[in-house]
Amino acid sequence: MFNLSNLVQKAQQFIDPTLSITGPSSDRRPSKATLFRHQFRLPETQSPLQEITAELTLSPHHSTRGSSGESTSHAQERDRPQGNHYVGKLHLSEQYLCFSTQGSSFLNTASLSASSAFTGQTHGAGPAGNGFILPLCAIRRVERLHSQSYMFALAITTWNGVSDGKAKPGSAASGQKLTIQLAGSRIQCERFCDGLKRGLREGVREVENLRAVVSECYSEYLLSEDGDDKKSHGNEDRKPREHPDTGLGMVFKYPGNARKLRDATKIRLWREYLRENGRSATLIRQPTFHKLIRVGLPNRLRGEIWELTSGSFFLRLQNPKLYIQTLTKFSGQESLAIDEIEKDLNRSLPEYPGFQSEEGIGRLRRVLTAYSWTNEEVGYCQAMNIVVAALLIYMSESQAFFLLSILCDRLLPGYYSQTMYGTLLDQRVFESLVEKTMPILWDHLAKNDVQLSVVSLPWFLSLYINSMPLIFAFRVLDVFFLEGPKVLFQIGLAILRINGEELLDATDDGTFISVLKSYFARLDESAHPRSENPKLRAVTRFQELMVVAFKEFAGITQNTISEQRSKHKGAVLENIESFAKRTSIRNLGPESKRLSVIDLGFLYDRFYEVLYERQQRDEIMQHEAERKAKAGRMKATEVVSGFSGNNPEVGRVALGPSPTQMDYDGFREFLAGIAKWAVTDSPSSPPELNGDKQNHSYFGGSTRSRSTTISPWGSGPEPADHEFMKRLFRRWDTDMNNTLSLQNVVTGFAQVKGTKDIMSNISYFFELYDDDGDGRVDRDGILRISEALLFLSRRGFEGNLSPSPSLHDLATSPERRENRDEQFLSSISAFIRRCFEYADPDHAANQVRQAAADLASFSIGSDNDSEDLVDLSDPASPKPNPSSPRLLHTKIPLSPTPSTSNPLSPVKAKATAANLALDPNNPLHITLPTFRMVILADEVLETFFESGFSASFRLLDAPQPSHASSSSNLTTFSNAAARNALAPGAGASVGGAGVGVVPPGKGLRGMLDNIVSDGMRVAAEVRRRMDEAQREEGEGEGEKGHVEEEGEEEGRDGELLEGAETADVVVGKGAGVVGDLLGPPGEGKKEGEEGVKGRQRSVSEASKILEFER
Amino acid sequence: MADSGATSAPKPSSSVKLVLLGEAAVGKSSLVMRFVNNDFQENKEPTIGAAFLTQKCNLPTRTIKFEIWDTAGQERFASLAPMYYRNAQAALVVYDITKASSLQKAQHWVAELQRQASPGIVIALVGNKFDLASANPASDTSTGGDDADATATAEEEEDVDGESDARKVPTKTAKAYADEEALLFFETSAKTGLNVAEVFTAIANAIPETSLKGPRGVGGQTNLGRQEDSARVNLTGANVQGPKEGCAC
Ligand SMILES: Nc1nc2c(ncn2[C@@H]2O[C@H](COP(=O)(O)OP(=O)(O)O)[C@@H](O)[C@H]2O)c(=O)[nH]1
Ligand SMILES: [Mg+2]
Repeated sequence: MFNLSNLVQKAQQFIDPTLSITGPSSDRRPSKATLFRHQFRLPETQSPLQEITAELTLSPHHSTRGSSGESTSHAQERDRPQGNHYVGKLHLSEQYLCFSTQGSSFLNTASLSASSAFTGQTHGAGPAGNGFILPLCAIRRVERLHSQSYMFALAITTWNGVSDGKAKPGSAASGQKLTIQLAGSRIQCERFCDGLKRGLREGVREVENLRAVVSECYSEYLLSEDGDDKKSHGNEDRKPREHPDTGLGMVFKYPGNARKLRDATKIRLWREYLRENGRSATLIRQPTFHKLIRVGLPNRLRGEIWELTSGSFFLRLQNPKLYIQTLTKFSGQESLAIDEIEKDLNRSLPEYPGFQSEEGIGRLRRVLTAYSWTNEEVGYCQAMNIVVAALLIYMSESQAFFLLSILCDRLLPGYYSQTMYGTLLDQRVFESLVEKTMPILWDHLAKNDVQLSVVSLPWFLSLYINSMPLIFAFRVLDVFFLEGPKVLFQIGLAILRINGEELLDATDDGTFISVLKSYFARLDESAHPRSENPKLRAVTRFQELMVVAFKEFAGITQNTISEQRSKHKGAVLENIESFAKRTSIRNLGPESKRLSVIDLGFLYDRFYEVLYERQQRDEIMQHEAERKAKAGRMKATEVVSGFSGNNPEVGRVALGPSPTQMDYDGFREFLAGIAKWAVTDSPSSPPELNGDKQNHSYFGGSTRSRSTTISPWGSGPEPADHEFMKRLFRRWDTDMNNTLSLQNVVTGFAQVKGTKDIMSNISYFFELYDDDGDGRVDRDGILRISEALLFLSRRGFEGNLSPSPSLHDLATSPERRENRDEQFLSSISAFIRRCFEYADPDHAANQVRQAAADLASFSIGSDNDSEDLVDLSDPASPKPNPSSPRLLHTKIPLSPTPSTSNPLSPVKAKATAANLALDPNNPLHITLPTFRMVILADEVLETFFESGFSASFRLLDAPQPSHASSSSNLTTFSNAAARNALAPGAGASVGGAGVGVVPPGKGLRGMLDNIVSDGMRVAAEVRRRMDEAQREEGEGEGEKGHVEEEGEEEGRDGELLEGAETADVVVGKGAGVVGDLLGPPGEGKKEGEEGVKGRQRSVSEASKILEFER
Repeated sequence: MADSGATSAPKPSSSVKLVLLGEAAVGKSSLVMRFVNNDFQENKEPTIGAAFLTQKCNLPTRTIKFEIWDTAGQERFASLAPMYYRNAQAALVVYDITKASSLQKAQHWVAELQRQASPGIVIALVGNKFDLASANPASDTSTGGDDADATATAEEEEDVDGESDARKVPTKTAKAYADEEALLFFETSAKTGLNVAEVFTAIANAIPETSLKGPRGVGGQTNLGRQEDSARVNLTGANVQGPKEGCAC
């Protein structure tokens, strides 16, 4: 079954994190924090705290590789005598110091500068730019330099080579040093330094993690073998380093011919680069870095560089043990995902020897399983097996695990989700890019009805791993992790461009596919085999592909992709949703056939809408509660960014599967939306509450909260809580699990709405009250039924009780409606009377005669001989108010035993007679035939069961007056009357069961309302008396339903008030923190003082701002 | 791709796009393997999205080249299905006779195709894994769909108490449904090959001439749209049995 619409809804938010989210947040731009994290591939915990323009200078020995390869521009930056200079932005987050020459990379605004657009190169820097992403814990020392030209210059020494740095007394050899000049006002610079200082202090705690993570990096091993390193330490007794796990390739060989791939040369170049520019955590990106990646990474280093460029390294650094912990935590447990994984293990890159072995298959199993636990929304999706298998050739299990997280969450958003919306969306995007860039080919495809996406989908879904020979797919991955998702599009476009001629000859899917298949098979051949020029001849087809992809399609930037995604998102999601809905509706079982497809569609929407909104409200309320709890120790930055750390950085566990089950409260809300009798008479949440919340939406923008949804019932009407609704719920809950699935709800509706047969409607109602299913409803049940009838009818039925409802009827004078309502009321009183009249005593022999005789005269306290409970023949009588209800009030004194002291003696005799019927000592019951007879004896009730009841559920065109105040609903029987009911003070009412108190002075309407409420009170009172009697006689199990109900109602009120307070408190504190941060008068001063001191000290050549000797 | 369908006489040849739909593990890929390679084995090829294969089918008057899209197994790939059945002229909706829920799923796919796919699409309902139903008279296994139905239906009566029979979907039930919806209906076994070629032959025969235009030429889809009525009329199970000429496989 596909209950996916909610998933889709939720998924929208993640479809492209840098995109605006459709939703309550009206801000169309992605948050700055998101952009920042994406640019530097940082975990979700990081937020941009400080930002300043700066120039990075790398000490002279760095220049060797940095500038030698460069031939164009930037010359004036690079060739200053001191070394390499890069101007860019320096950023500080909680745990990172980042620098980039490129303003952006993943950013929406990321487009290549005009000058570089035609070459498709950012001067070798790639979209990630030159710079670094330094974990603060990797910084060993920051010194402030005295400088003529710049007010602030910092010299940063890193823990480069930290993992083998234990025995390195004062060695400066591996101590990497970089200089940064800050260009900003003194205040800016000082604030930056102050932030940095704080971060560095915090960072000390992370050093152990860093050591552990870095020790698994191949670069450490590579450099430790390095002659330089050994020499400088001169410690010959050091035991040889263990070779870190660089994937299955270590054991089963890496794909391809190492010599042909020039692996040794590449390693040599990298060793040089790493020695000068830092390794793993301390790596600095200079132009050579991007070039070395473009030519293909060497086997053993590939995993580490993938980790670094994709940012999964930082996830691992943050929680190095997560992978092992996850496996341990869930060991032995089973899941659907695990079953699915198991099926695919044997067909994941089966051509690679490693995956024909238990070792390789075991690794693959563990990584996929661990990930499926951390992200249950994704779980396992076919194609992940192929991607992970590929990763495992080059990296350890733990590394692959985190890289998979980055793939699913950031690089391939929504690709592997339950609906695969990301896959479908990117296919749509790809098609539109083809249409734009290759219109002739596009037309050709359209004309021949070749659907491009069926061909290109596997390219994207498995990152070309399954389409190209492995060695080439890995080259694509090298660039993909560095430059982002746009690479997939560029490669795809280039494939089509290169094969354009042949594709224009293909007229069907088959030919189209085989053209591309044979192209992929010959990627290693010369692109220009017949060329005279040997250099040209040496160019392989794959090289040609890369050139076309990154030069010709250089204009395809991340920005292009984002724009296209947002353009097509709506349509794609709509398609998925309607598919999911169709599927779901078709799978609702045979009962559902009794409802129209339109009704089913309505129920589907409404059902999930309620579940979804309730979930949202829960989250928001929980969020608030957490916020309250955390407020004290919350980091100021979280308040500012509106982003709390409870956003899980790995796998978004919080997303979870969307709800498919509706509990009783949800059911009430659901009913309130489609039946007006299900709306409460006594709303417990005053509308002001909502308004109140509006003030506090300062964090609403980022948490997507809607101020109005904070009321426990959202923006909809507050539902009633009547016993009838409980019974309906229980009846529909056929699986007896205390919740309803869509299937339950549809089946339930099919039963009440799907039959036009009055007989089955009557039995349905009867069965609702036949608790033990013995075909009898006892005295208590009869009263409950009449209560329910009053409950259901208390707001009248719009035009449904007359046999031929017409539009005209709806608009007719209030009198006619009143008439009908009166009729209903009297019918119910007649119903009660008749029920008792025709009831069977439980013990047949017992008192039959007497009961029958008494019952014959029983007319519920009526002191005339009218058949009906209430005489409404003259509703406009001059003395309206007390007179009619009097008839009812006389019933109240009914008591189990006739009392001579009864003050209302005139009716005593009758009451006594009636008492026999109500006497618990004379148990009686009605059977279905009796019930049927009683119903059919009354025209109004007959109509009610024929059509009124089922019509009271309005599935379509059912705009409930949700925003009309409930109080005005209460006092009216119809819309027409609602207009009259605007009397101030109306609607003071209490009681969950709809016991209304109506203010006087409302004339006819008021009287009528009184009658109804009195009628209900009567029924309630009768029941109460009976309960009392039963309790007195100690034989009743007691009917405490009502008491409980009241109790619950109060409890809820209490909670609600508490909730309101909570909100207040939270906001109060939050605001305080904001205040602190924005204008901390005390601290600000301190900073200033320190700044002054700092400057004084800076007179000396180099004064340390902060130094850690670890 | 087996090109055994090369014929001596120049018969008109046309392409038919066929899509396989059905719950995971009912044997879609196995049926295709049987039809294309006359082979039965564990599927070693990882299928991403859908696998594409072709096979020719020789009819007395023409040659049909099936372009087969075998959709992926996992449930979540179902939302990609519209991409594959778009403009398909034929569909094989497969269920597993040993799994009742798979027929329900098949019914969903039929409804989906009827509502969303090309109007003239020829749909065959296929109950696979016939070999798992007990006491299959081996002699009947080579007969066409309707004959197989008859025998299976007879068995069904005595299978009520289960014995060792893994069958969960009575032939009657599925056949009645297929008749109601005017689908071709077969029970097959990819394992033994029973009825596999027959399914494809029947489909080839049921494709209306009018929707065939060379190797799926220009405008093929619009033709499909217009011919819906005539196509539907022909689709009752009995009518299409026609010539029992096997496919070239
Ligand atoms: N006994 C039996 N097993 C079958 C038959 N067809 C397929 N299978 C098995 O059912 C499983 C699923 O088959 P597969 O073709 O992958 O199903 P798909 O997911 O629908 O493509 C495999 O283990 C097959 O060996 C059949 O006719 N008889
Ligand atoms: Mg398959």
